[in-house]
Amino acid sequence: MTVRLLVAAYALLGVTAVLAAGEPEFAITLRDHQFTPAEIRIPAGVKVKLVVDNQDAGPEEFDSHALNREKVIPGKTKATIFIGPLAPGRYPFIGEFNATTARGEVVAQ
Amino acid sequence: MKARAAVAALLIAATYGPSAYADPDDYVALPGVEYGERELELRFGTATKSGEDRASAASLAFGYGLTPWWATEVYAKYNRSGSEATRFDAIEWENKFEIGEPGQYFVDMGFLVELEWANDRAEGYELRIGPLFQKDFGLVQTNFNFLLERHFRSDEHEVTELGYQWQVKYRWRPEFEFGLQGFGDVGKWNDWDPHDVQTHTVGPAIFGKFPLGGQQVFKYNAAVLFKASSAAADRTLRAQLEYEF
Repeated sequence: MTVRLLVAAYALLGVTAVLAAGEPEFAITLRDHQFTPAEIRIPAGVKVKLVVDNQDAGPEEFDSHALNREKVIPGKTKATIFIGPLAPGRYPFIGEFNATTARGEVVAQ
Repeated sequence: MKARAAVAALLIAATYGPSAYADPDDYVALPGVEYGERELELRFGTATKSGEDRASAASLAFGYGLTPWWATEVYAKYNRSGSEATRFDAIEWENKFEIGEPGQYFVDMGFLVELEWANDRAEGYELRIGPLFQKDFGLVQTNFNFLLERHFRSDEHEVTELGYQWQVKYRWRPEFEFGLQGFGDVGKWNDWDPHDVQTHTVGPAIFGKFPLGGQQVFKYNAAVLFKASSAAADRTLRAQLEYEF
């Protein structure tokens, strides 16, 4: 009985640890309507968290058909975007409000 | 024989109360919210069933993403039956709440709350609430929603009914995606109608999006739905056009 309780408690701790560990985090800065870095390399097969810091005064929409994400980021704020797990490959994204300059790619490898 | 079946269906419907048949212009609600985005929306639908008048409905709406997790939209709804004149049907206030961020949990979730004031006071008020789910599998997006609907202060027997909406689509290109959609109502939420009174429809659907520059985007989706149960309309054509700015 005690062993079972210990195993259950250990399993619970393990689950909690996994949840607490969270996803790997990658930072992207948007300034002058351009993403930096424009290419973000992430591990394939793993869910990750992109933290996009919009340093411009106006809003921008992080948009990616390949990643199926659309997220409006008000000026001077940060937004969190969860992506993956992804198969190896390149996944382009744009800032939809300034699509000619705000462009980038997530590279899963 | 058909007439006898129709009478039987009517009797059963009367016994079990009014059915929450989806309007022909109903659409599959998605759990996501786009903060700060304004939109003008036009919905249209027309349904035919042998032996009955064509039922058509249209809605014009203005929506706004109030917060990163709350979007609200107000609809003016119109309908038309057979050769009758188009009439103003109702005002609807839709609120959608996003739960968590897309991709954060195993399934993306939202919650829908709709309140409708019917122009015909005998129909009373209608409340529709329910959870919205989305799960992506690579380029395949799936959605499923359970919706509870209840009329208040109406002349008819008030029951809480259960409906559902679903879609599966292949996200081929931003301008053109394709898949299937389905809608249905099963009757009272805890005491479902007999299958021949329930309404279930399913059919092919197309979707797409065209950026118009800056913050302006045009989106569309449309479906042709066929009956999957005898009480449903034989054919329903539905479409939704959105201009976001």
